[in-house]
Order: sequence, then structure tokens, then C-alpha cells
Amino acid sequence: MFRDPKPQKISLSDWSQQFKLVGEEQIKKFTYYRNPEWGIYLSPPATFMVYGARELKRLKFDNSMASLRLWGFVFNESERLFRAKQIGKRVIATMGDLGTVPVIIMAFPHCIPFYPECIWWTPFFKESTVLLDVATEMGIPEAACFSKATLAAFYKKAYFPKPDLIFASTGASCDDYSCIMQQIEDLGYDPFWLEIPFRRDDLNPPLGGLRQEEYLISEYERVWNRMVELTGINDKNRLIQSIKKANRLRSLVANLKKLTYEASIAPLPALEMMTIEFGNLYGYADSDEWLNILEMVQETICNRVKQGVGVLEEDAIPIAWITPSADPLLLNLVEDFGLRIVETEYVINQALVPIEEDIESFRALARSFLKASLIGSTKERVKRIIDGVNNGRIKGVLITNMIGASHCAMETRLMEKMLSDVPVLSIDVPAPFGITEQLRTRIAAFTETIKNK
Amino acid sequence: MSLMVDKKYEILNPRERFGLLVIDEKPDRCNIIPLITSHAAAVTGISLKDYYTNGTAMAKAQIAAIEEYGHDAISIFSEVGIIAEAMGSEFIYPDDDLPVLKKPALTGLKQTMDCLRQPDPKKDGRLPVYLEAIDYAYSAVGDKIPILAYVPAPFTTGMMLSDPNQFLLDTIKNPQRVKKIIEISLNAAIEFCYEIINAGGLPILVDPLASGSVISPKAFRDFALPGEQGLINFLHRYDFDVILHICGDTTPLLDSLILTGADLISLDRVDLNLAIQKLAKKIRIIGNFDTTKIGFGSTDEIAKEVKEMVRIGIKAEKGYIASTGCEVPIRTPVENVKTFISAAKEVGWYWG
Amino acid sequence: MVKQEEKKLIGYNCSYIPVELLAATGYKPYRLLHGDSRLSGSGEKLLRVDACPLVKSNLSYIIENKDKFAAVVGSTGCDMARRMFDCLRQYQDVLSAPSSFPIYVLNNPRTDKPEIFYDEIDWLVKELEHLSNKNFSPDLINYEIERWEAARNRYRVFAQKRAVKPSLISTTAFAKACANFHKGDIELEIKIDETLSQNPRVYLLGSAIPYEAHLIIEMLEANMRIVGDFNCGISRFLNINIKEKNLDGIKKAYYNQIPCIYKRPNNQFYEMVGAQIKQLACKGIIAWTLDYCDNYEFELKRIERIFGLPVLRIRSDLSFQNINQLKTRIGAFAEMLA
Repeated sequence: MFRDPKPQKISLSDWSQQFKLVGEEQIKKFTYYRNPEWGIYLSPPATFMVYGARELKRLKFDNSMASLRLWGFVFNESERLFRAKQIGKRVIATMGDLGTVPVIIMAFPHCIPFYPECIWWTPFFKESTVLLDVATEMGIPEAACFSKATLAAFYKKAYFPKPDLIFASTGASCDDYSCIMQQIEDLGYDPFWLEIPFRRDDLNPPLGGLRQEEYLISEYERVWNRMVELTGINDKNRLIQSIKKANRLRSLVANLKKLTYEASIAPLPALEMMTIEFGNLYGYADSDEWLNILEMVQETICNRVKQGVGVLEEDAIPIAWITPSADPLLLNLVEDFGLRIVETEYVINQALVPIEEDIESFRALARSFLKASLIGSTKERVKRIIDGVNNGRIKGVLITNMIGASHCAMETRLMEKMLSDVPVLSIDVPAPFGITEQLRTRIAAFTETIKNK
Repeated sequence: MSLMVDKKYEILNPRERFGLLVIDEKPDRCNIIPLITSHAAAVTGISLKDYYTNGTAMAKAQIAAIEEYGHDAISIFSEVGIIAEAMGSEFIYPDDDLPVLKKPALTGLKQTMDCLRQPDPKKDGRLPVYLEAIDYAYSAVGDKIPILAYVPAPFTTGMMLSDPNQFLLDTIKNPQRVKKIIEISLNAAIEFCYEIINAGGLPILVDPLASGSVISPKAFRDFALPGEQGLINFLHRYDFDVILHICGDTTPLLDSLILTGADLISLDRVDLNLAIQKLAKKIRIIGNFDTTKIGFGSTDEIAKEVKEMVRIGIKAEKGYIASTGCEVPIRTPVENVKTFISAAKEVGWYWG
Repeated sequence: MVKQEEKKLIGYNCSYIPVELLAATGYKPYRLLHGDSRLSGSGEKLLRVDACPLVKSNLSYIIENKDKFAAVVGSTGCDMARRMFDCLRQYQDVLSAPSSFPIYVLNNPRTDKPEIFYDEIDWLVKELEHLSNKNFSPDLINYEIERWEAARNRYRVFAQKRAVKPSLISTTAFAKACANFHKGDIELEIKIDETLSQNPRVYLLGSAIPYEAHLIIEMLEANMRIVGDFNCGISRFLNINIKEKNLDGIKKAYYNQIPCIYKRPNNQFYEMVGAQIKQLACKGIIAWTLDYCDNYEFELKRIERIFGLPVLRIRSDLSFQNINQLKTRIGAFAEMLA
């Protein structure tokens, strides 16, 4: 029977060794969609590496059972989506809004929302330019953001099943996503377009904000009506329950972040934490099981915090990370250099904030969405980080950029200026398998700069 | 760009294609994986000895074969004695042929199992050659092409550890000894699979000496089956879909094959329609073109018969891989293999 | 009344922003269409190198000439253009620029949402009334509509001369005249000499061509004649046709113009531009895109496929460093069409 050893980050082969101790009953205990035949997901990283995720050979993972569950579940997502369709569930692609439309989808029985954009990590986990090359052959400019892998995935139909519906949110959001959604329509799919309004900042009267709320409410009503048409179910109580469930997840993740970022020693690595944050978008296609996994993660973190143990050194330098890295290896790397992430702005703020439960549901969803990272000003986006810098909690800031991503091109210099009280390192995430010695040197130098300040 | 499939243009790469198969989805066309093992040496013109003693050479030959033929997997394999050799059996390495058993580790009836060493796959025999080949191939093409590593199953290894005739006789006269040999071979195979996995290879089981051409169905159930089950259970812990290859006539064993737990069965001299009827609801079918024909037949004959075979095979409910019944003979003409593959591609489409 | 030449400017960057409303403030509408390597380079102090060169240039221009502006009005057209205004605001706030002016951003919906657009126009009217301390009465609106429609009609005459077969005026000359419209100088006489051309007829579309980049038009017309365009820097404004001389008329005309390629879905762009291309009997298309202009760059293959004509793709960072190479490519394309 496997029991959590002393916490540390371990390699894939270490996990294979550790996995020998995991009993059959533990393996069979955890399933998705409650299916014992193909729903087992507790596998070591080596399984997914053998099936082509080459970067796993170089990554380091937390060594707890909770993390093993987390990774097995997350890496299994592609299969899970296909299985969902095989057992009669409806698979709904939600694109562009990053966090709110899935809450509506999950109010309908047997409907599984997912974000095809999350495919942008696949070229990096696979250390492969296959999807990026196919996107280029399809006419997407080379200098476009890595999210272009999503288009190739739609074309190939091997990464997720043909969605029963596609909700494509566009508007005051990243241009790359919007352009990809248009290309997907050109492939013969039929997206249901939604409008994301622009969030007016505090300089303008509140009336501006109310107007945006009304726009969003009408859009969510359209989503609802389309889903009613698809499923034949029209029960607003289910939406209330879905919001409550989303809030349970959001609250759990908020607590995990608080525990992890405030502990004297980091109890969980940054890579797992990023994966946990992104789980808020849609629960990786089985939100019940995902919630269960996070409860186990919480227990692990609590135990570690209580024991005063963790995966990094106690003197690891606390930094903030802005914009998620498409290459997961970067998160390992910064920790190897003695840094520790204690605050993040991963463009998904709308998936992290609680949804009000004491007002009408669509209005509540609208208000939560209006806190989205990318629809307003840069100043608002980095406010939490500025606060962290001002109170001394954050000693440095790392910004990752994707060449061609419209918001990166426009925001990064501004953010550097706004956060100039601490050292700021801005990195262009290189193509898969592209992390160079030069990049490592820059991270090392950044660490030294913080130490010497 | 529309969703209509142009049959001349393959949308998926082998990795994606295999990935869909093992989750019960139909890919663009059936996977095509003729057992191109040592034949790869002939394709690239390297000596056989180089092929099976040098991992990098093996991997490079396999990659070159993929480039030449366009099939759907790398096959890391030379011969079935690889684990037995690491456990103490001696083999001769001819320059122009595969290794031949010279002296089994268990030379006498009364010899105890203590002489059998539990091999370290990173050091003993030619196991490191395999691992090096897997590692090289995985780094080079592993994002696009599955790397299959053929692992001799315990029964086959057991025969290579002993005098084969005596081993077969012992299945009647001294079954406990045979079972013990198989148990030790199973442990060795598990350790080997463990390292194969860490290198990036997908272990597939080969048990040619458990064929219906060699042993009876009862002997299969009593001796070969437990060894196969043990190894497959180990691989199932990793949630792998496991391929089991048994060449020869396995018609008498068809009912037992389901009991192995294998997820894909690679067949040789079996009527494909019968195999599909008995197995295809639960197991994916691989096979099963006559290796004599691919080695010596005419391209017209090959094209015609491959198409017939694939037209039957793609009806297999749980999935199908077009393959040869056994290894492609080393000196098979390149045109014959190309014909096999192009014929299979012509009729093996699921999409469009 | 402030003299014409002393009028402060009200900058704007989008074809969906009604110039009539901007002019009603009493300020001079000034289309932000600046772009050259100096301005673009200067913009990299505030933006990354992979930002659109037009956006970098316009941002620099505004900052260098801030005293000329009474306000700027943007829209949520492309993401970078929208964020330019955020940068400007942060520049004013965070970097404590000595003077600041109001910045308005119209929420221009990408999907078919006339109610949002009309609502936003109402909001913009209120903001502009507040800015100018004026009431936008029906009479005032009517007056500005008449003025600007009359200006468009004068330009339409020349557009027609450009479009006929054989074409009578060049886009090189026409674009210079259009620049006056964009700079708000609509009272200036339009003087364009006729230059008949039998060269292959082509259509120009793509990223806006800035004032400083008209040399590209000249290069293109060495051996071809651009007989029509869908370009914010040239004559796209002629697609506005205000029928009802009131605020509703403005809303409808601006909303229903040939849509931008960033609208979702953008099939109407292809239908309407395609109809123009056909009507003009064009033999080829010039697709001019700026670096990192996702909205056009993502569509180039579709443009080729849907319009079914040869397309010359020209991508620029506004530096025009490889001018000889460009001339060769243009020459070869013209030869192919001939």
C-alpha cells in the first residue's frame, strides 16, 4: 500500500519506481465517469510518456499519491472526452471565454464542456511541432501564438471527439483565439458565436459596467436556450446547483493557493499548482472526480504545512508569474534556480472568482465574467501583484510571452513599468524543445538580481 | 478546407492513429504494422550482427524502414532469446544471421534454478542494446511514431533457457519445474518491461513457442497462459493496451486467447474471418498476411490478397491492424513490402 | 469660433466610429493612420517588438503630438488597437505625462449585435456632449451628416473614375486625396489628374495603409492599376452611406457597412468584398498585411481560395528595407496578370 513519502519533486523514472508500491486496490479505486472498465486513470507519468508525451522524461513531479491522481487524471483527458461520447454524453466545446460558459453547460445532464484551447500545451508535452506545423500548412502565420495548435487538433480529430456544439466567444479577447475560431468554422464546423464585451475601467461611470452586464446576460440566455434545444431540459434550478458546484471548486482552489503560497515552505510545486488553477475552467471533463482529487490534494498540502515540510527550500525566493507558460518545463526550471511562485495571473481570473449565489444566476455569471483578466485594463490585471510587491510578499515578477499573442505584445512593457519596484524578467516562451542555455542563464541572473537587491 | 477526406492524403500520423485505436475509436485508416524487425537491417544495408548488437544501429535501421515504407510503428526486436541470454543461455552470433542458441543456461535435468540470474536490463546480455535502440528511436521520432518493443513471453524464454525438447517433455513429466522456470522468466520479463517503459517503448509480448503448432491447447493453458497473464497484468497496471503475438497455427487456442487479458492479438495462420467471429467483440485483431507470400510472392498476388485481407479485417468491431502473420523475412524484396503497405492503404479507410 | 487651422484634434482609429459625431464636438476628426519605422521604433518603448507597427506608430504619434489632441476615440476592433488606448491611459496615469486628455473606447461588437453598437453610439454621444459642452441636437447632427456625406459624394466621383474601364485615375493620387478626408480636411478641393491606364486591374485589401506608406501604392501601380480597395487607409470610408439624416441613420449606416474581416463570422466580408471585386472586373488581389496583423494574416489562405484570383501577399513592418526585392515581386505579379 503506497503511503506518501517525504515530499519532493521526482523524475519520471523515480515515479515508476514509486509506482511499484501502489496496490491494485488503489489503482482500481479511482475512476472517471465511475467506469471500472476503461475509467481507471491512476497511472504513472511513464504511461503517458510511452504514448508520446516526451517532455515528461524531463519534467519533475510532486511525489504524493494526490499528485499521481492529479497527473493521471489530467493526462487522461483526451481519452475521457472520447469515452464521454461513446457512452452517450454530449461533448460541448467552449472557446474563448475561459471559465463561465462551462458553468451553464454543466447545468445540463450528461453534458461535458471542454476548452479546445488547452491543446496549446500538447506540442510542449509531446516536444513536437506536429500540430504547429499542420496549423502552418493550413495557412496560419508562423508568428501566431501557440494556440494555433487548436486549429490543427480540430482538423485532425484525434485529440478530442467532434463536439456536439461549439460555443465560440469573441469580442474584447485575444485576437488569436478569435481568428482560430473563424478558421474552425471554415473547416465545416458550426460555432455558436457569443460576444465578450469590453470592461470599462473605473474612470468611466458605473453605468458602463451595468451595460456590459446586460450584454452578457443576454448572451448567457442564448447559451441556455441553445442547450435547451439540444437537450430538451429547461430547469433553472440546475443552473443554481451548477453555480454552487463551481463555487465549491473555486473556493477549494482559492484555499489551496492560500495554503501553498503562504506556507513557509512550498508544499506543492508550481507545475501542479498551475494545473490545479486551470482545472477551474471545466474540471478536465469530469468535475466530480476532479473535485475529489483536489480534496485529496488539500489534505496532502494541509499535512505538509502542519509538518512544516515541502518540496522546495525554505529560502526559495517568492515571485509572481504573469501569463501561463505554454511550456510546463519552465515552471520546473525556475524552481530549480531557487525561485518559488507565490502569486499568479494566468489570464483566467474569471474562472477563479466566486460567483454570487444570492442574485439571479445569469447576472451572477455575468458579474464573475466581468472580472476576466483580458477584457479590461492591464492595470486591473496586475493589481493583486502590485499589492503583493507593495507589501513585500513578492520579490520579483516573471512574465511569459508568446510571440504573436496580441495581449502579450501590448501589455508586457506596461507591466514591466508598473512593477518596476522589483526585478522583472520577461521571457518569450520558445517553441517546443527550445529552452536554451541562454534562457537558463537569464533566469539565473534574475535570481541573483533579486538576491542582491 | 472541408471535412471531406481525400483518401490519398493521410490526416493522422502513426502516433495519433494508434492512439485512437486503443481508445476504441476508428482512425482515418487502419494502422498498418507489418512485422518489420530484422528486415530493417536489409533495407539499410547494415549487417545483421550490427543490427542486433548495436542499439543505435537498430534504431536507425528501423527509422530508415519507416521512411522507406511509411508504415505505422517502429519495431525493436531481433530474436526471442534476448531475455534467456541475459539470464545465462549462450548464443552464437553469426555475421549474416540472427543469434542461434548454443548452450541453454539449464543444461541438465537436475540443474537447479540457482544458476539462472535475474538479469539487470541495463547491463546484462543484449538487453541494453534494446534499451538503447528504444531510447534513440523515441528521441528521434517518438512524438509521431509508436515505439513497439517486442518482449519474449515467459514460456518462450523458458524454452530458450532449456533444451527445447526436454522443456516440452517436462510439461508432462515435470510440470513443476517448468512452472518454476516460467515464474523466474516472468520476473525477468517484468523487469525488462519496466526499463523498456522508462525508455519510451511500448512492450508487446511475443510467444511464438506457445503456438498451436508447437504445443497443445492444454499445455498452453497450463503453462504459457499464466506467464502471459502475469506479464499482461503487470502492463495493465500502467493502463497500457497490450499486444500479444503468437505465430503459427493458433486456431486451437483462439478460445484461450481471450483469457490472456491481451487487448490486441497478433495472429498468423488462422482464418481471419474465424478470428474476428470469435475474438473481435472483445479484442482488437492484428494480422495476418502469409509471410511466405510477402517474402516470395509477386507484387500482383500480394496486392490482391492484402486488399482481400484488409477488407475483412476492417470489419473487426473493436479494431484492426493490418500486419503480417509473423516477421517479414529478412531478404524480402522492398517492392513486396511496399506493395503490402500501399494495398492496405488503398482499402483500409474508416473516414470518408 | 476657433479658426479651422487652430482646431484641436479628436483622434480616432476605426471605420466604425462616426466622424459626424466627432465633428459635432467642434474639434477636427483626425484618423490615426500614422506608420513609419521611426514612429514604430519609438513605440517599442511602450510596446513589444511583436506589436502591430501601425499601433506602435500611432501610439508614438499621439504621445509626440499630445498637445494637438482634445481627445481620442478608439474601438474594440482588433485587440491590439483596443489595447493601444489602454496603454495611452496607463502612460498618462502611471508615467505621469504632463498633460492628459480623455480617451474613449467604443465597444464595437464582433458578432452581429446591432443593439450593442447602437447602445454604444448613444453612450459615445453622451461622452462627446460632455467633452464639448454641447448638446448634439438633431439639427447639429443633420448638419454634420450633410457635410460629411457631401464630402463622401465628392470622393465617390473620383472613385468612380478609378473604377471605370479603362481606369482614369490612379489609387496613388486618390489615396493622397483620401488622406485629406481622414485628416478632417473635407473642405479642401480634391485635385486629381487623370491618368488612363490599361494595366491589369487589381483590388487592394488588408491592414490599413498609413499616411507615410503610400509609396507602396506607387510601387504597385508601376505596372498595375488598383481600381478598388477595402482599406481603412484609403477609400473604405466610401462604404458609409447615411440615408436618414439623424442619429439612427448614423447608427444604421455605420453598423451596416461592409464588415471588417475581424467580424465573426466573417462570411459577409467575403460576400460583399467579393461582389465589389467582381463588379470591378479585377484580375488579381493585393493583400497587404502588417506584421502581426492576425486578423488578416490568418485569412490569407481563405482570401486566395474564396476569391479565386491570384493574390500578391505583401507583409510589412513599415521599414521598407527590401524595396528592390519587393519591386521584383510586384513586377513578376503584374507580368503574370498581363
